[in-house]
Amino acid sequence: MSQHLPEANYFDPEVLQKLGDLELIAREVVEGLRVGSHRSPLRGFSTEFAHHRQYAPGDAIRDLDWRVFGRTDRYYTKLYEAETNFDCTILIDVSSSMNYASAKVSKLEYAKFLAASLAYVVLKQRDSVGLSVFDEEVRAYLPPRSAMGVILEIDRLLREAESVPRTSIAKQLHDIALMMKRRSFVILISDLFSDVDDILAGLDRLRYDGHNVVVLHTLDPYEIEFPFKGTWLFEGLEGEDPLTTQPERIRDDYLASFQKYMDALKAGCVASHVDYTTVDTSRPLDAVLSEFFHLRQSTLDGPSSSRP
Amino acid sequence: MSFLSPLVLFATLGVALPILAHLLSRYKVKRTDWAAMQFLNRSVRVRSRQIRLRDVLLLCLRCLAIVLLVFAFAKPFVKDAQNVPSGIGERRAGVVIALDASYSMGHSDGSLTRFERAIDKIEVIANDLHPGDPITLVLLGAEHRVVARSTSFDRERFDELLRAQNVTPENLDLDSVPLTLKSLADELETPQKEVYLATDMQASDWGERPAWLGEAFADLARSATTTIIPVGGGPENLAITNLELVSGVLRKDTIARYRATVKNYGTTSVSNVRVKGLAKGMTVDTKTIPTIAPGASETVSLFFHFQSAGAVRIGAELESDSLLFDDTRRAVAIIRDRVSILSVEGSANRARGGSGGFLAAALRARGSGTGAENFSVQSVSWLELPSQDLASFDVVVLEDVPEITPEQARAFEAYVRAGHGLIWFPGDSVDAAAWNQRASLDGISLLPAVIEQPISTSDSLGVGRPLEATLPDHPVCRPLRSLPEDLLSETRFRKVLEVTPAATSSMVLSLAGTAAPVLLEHSVGRGRVFLFTTSPDAAWSNMAVTPMFPMALQQMVTYLTAREFELPRLVGDSLSLSYVDQPDVSEGVFDSPSGETIAVAVREHRNQFVALLEDSREAGFYTARVRLQAPGVPIAVNVDTEESDVRSLTPAELIRSLDGTGISVATSDSDFIGALDSARAGRSFWLAFLLAGLALLVIESLLAHRMRK
Repeated sequence: MSQHLPEANYFDPEVLQKLGDLELIAREVVEGLRVGSHRSPLRGFSTEFAHHRQYAPGDAIRDLDWRVFGRTDRYYTKLYEAETNFDCTILIDVSSSMNYASAKVSKLEYAKFLAASLAYVVLKQRDSVGLSVFDEEVRAYLPPRSAMGVILEIDRLLREAESVPRTSIAKQLHDIALMMKRRSFVILISDLFSDVDDILAGLDRLRYDGHNVVVLHTLDPYEIEFPFKGTWLFEGLEGEDPLTTQPERIRDDYLASFQKYMDALKAGCVASHVDYTTVDTSRPLDAVLSEFFHLRQSTLDGPSSSRP
Repeated sequence: MSFLSPLVLFATLGVALPILAHLLSRYKVKRTDWAAMQFLNRSVRVRSRQIRLRDVLLLCLRCLAIVLLVFAFAKPFVKDAQNVPSGIGERRAGVVIALDASYSMGHSDGSLTRFERAIDKIEVIANDLHPGDPITLVLLGAEHRVVARSTSFDRERFDELLRAQNVTPENLDLDSVPLTLKSLADELETPQKEVYLATDMQASDWGERPAWLGEAFADLARSATTTIIPVGGGPENLAITNLELVSGVLRKDTIARYRATVKNYGTTSVSNVRVKGLAKGMTVDTKTIPTIAPGASETVSLFFHFQSAGAVRIGAELESDSLLFDDTRRAVAIIRDRVSILSVEGSANRARGGSGGFLAAALRARGSGTGAENFSVQSVSWLELPSQDLASFDVVVLEDVPEITPEQARAFEAYVRAGHGLIWFPGDSVDAAAWNQRASLDGISLLPAVIEQPISTSDSLGVGRPLEATLPDHPVCRPLRSLPEDLLSETRFRKVLEVTPAATSSMVLSLAGTAAPVLLEHSVGRGRVFLFTTSPDAAWSNMAVTPMFPMALQQMVTYLTAREFELPRLVGDSLSLSYVDQPDVSEGVFDSPSGETIAVAVREHRNQFVALLEDSREAGFYTARVRLQAPGVPIAVNVDTEESDVRSLTPAELIRSLDGTGISVATSDSDFIGALDSARAGRSFWLAFLLAGLALLVIESLLAHRMRK
């Protein structure tokens, strides 16, 4: 719980929605997590020297350690653990389907809070955060920067974005991959309502470029549980034909279809070495982030951890 | 097809409810934007359409089930089901069985009574009834008793019920029969209504019917198929039609003469008819009537010697004949230790030794050869009246008393109300205004008339008018009627008091040829008051020197000392129990001859407290008790002998009698069974509709359950 506003249940999405100031939201959420007292779960790059090895043809000349050459007359190359800092690019889906809200907070708003909080965490580590907003096409791309102002940029870009129905996601991810110059830590926040193969193709494209990809699959609780009763008219947010039905009588069919999609998506992510997390927009943001960071930590510490 | 309850068909409007619910569920659609449309895919859409179609199917089944159930409850039937295939619908009939239970049905032909034969016939009807058919069983009498009303027919229970019924000691009230049966038939909710009336068709009831009764039977036949089942028998029957006290005083150690009347209702003479006199259940006298001609009545005198005081149950009984109910006649005699009379004489008379002496002499008059005096008479002057204890006298005679004080008036009123008697004579000293004022207390008059001034009734020759019995059957008049005409007309009245009779009074004797009363009577509480309008004084009349005077006076005293319980009642009459003062109990008790104890609320009526048993249903001796623990007083209840004429109409006479009414007469068993078959042509379909409706509901429920899976 935040020490700045101790009385408020500050991580409730509806409370965050009323707060308005995205930077404040990010700070409160992240500080509340006490990230500073632990190693950042987003660590992946380092400037620490590792060791020397004998020069081999093809090595960069600039990596030669001339001091060692002067003392020993042999060529040694300096090897580092990693690069000096890492870039994190947050991809936010702003297509029409993200506007759905069974309660007061839509998936898009929740995604906004999530992105801001993640950006804040990265920036606190003195790393860089970039942002891309897309729907049917890439609406904006903000290269990674390490200034705190990027959080305000997130707010601005999302406000300016006009939701447009989307039919595919692979193309947009392909376009974004082309825009990113360096290998990056890519966080995709989307409801991923598209063809599973199309989604996986897009993720594979990012992985192909060596990006470390995390998917935060943002879903409304009604989409997960389908708890409607009575007769309902469902009007598709992405231009689908409307349907009038009695949801409780087709609930089993819906849930079966939904589960099939989720299983395929999760299996595809595992196969592509993409970290996948389901985000329920009815849950408090801190709980979601805490769970996500814990998952990341265990992934990084575990034997199967992969580093770029 | 018709419906027994067509109004129920309005319930078919209930079909609108499921339709309305269906439409509402369709049009009450909530709208939502939805992102995850990809999961509401084609198969889900197809399934949604299937669900809608199934809903329509279920709706149709539901509506059809409602319609069928409503039709079932409207009770559909076809009156003539000749063209309906057998197996569809049921041949149901609602049956009213009316059983004549008047006591003439107890007449036996030697082996079975008419009532028993009627029950046998009814069992034949029961053979043709289906379990569940509505059936009504009614016993006909003076008051018709519905034993079972529209109950579902169950053979075993019905037989048990039928066998439990008995003949009642009542007459048949035929006038109310058709209306009663029609209303009972109308209550039956069946397509076919049948009424069966088992009766002995007594000629006295069915022979001479008024026209309106024929129309009432015709109306009954229009409502229901009506069949009369005659169970007649022979006409022979003897009955005791009357038992009454003729002479004697009901005092301990005296002999009273009762007269029993026996009538031969048969068509042949009966010889050597023995009549027994019973007291306390024991035979005390037996007389034989040598012969009684057909239709004739003969009387016999029965002598009862009363050896102890108290209420004695007496009766006259014939040797058993074919009808037992009317072979016994009962009465109650209240026997006293002695009868005390206080004779209060006016001052003027006493001073000159006037008519007061005649009164005492008349009361003490005895026939030759008889023993002790019947009455103990004490004569006092009216001035000595305040010192007398009235309660020690049975009757007080006031003769030419000028006036009484208000306290005396109250004392007399309480005295009479307690069940004693008062005889009032006028005289020259009487102050009419004072009497009228004092004798009328709290709106209740002690005397049965308002007295005015004396008027002369002599003709120009100074000869007074003779006497006439206005109520010939009154106990006071009865012995006078036995006097020869010339002896009775010897009594002449020269002067009478002009009076205005009270509304509650009755005129017992009057002046011949005029409406001027000579003797008036009325009741006050449990007692009675007689008012003479003339005096035994020679200036008023010569009755003191004629035989009429002692006879009438003694009869009056006997009558006044009698208790209300001595008057026999007829079955159906009310029995009353009067209280002297307001009782400390709320209920009086009557024990019926069969031993049933009936508690009756005590009610106040015109300043009197009375427990009234509305109608006596049994013949015999009832016992009335002022409270449960109190000793009882017997009341005799006899059958009404109008029912004793047991002659029945022949089948031919019966058919002629019912011609044009639409009522059939089953003269033989084969006719009877044939009538049953041909009458029952209608069929009921309510069960078929009910089963179909319920089956549809079950199917609809199963389908709905299956479809929701």
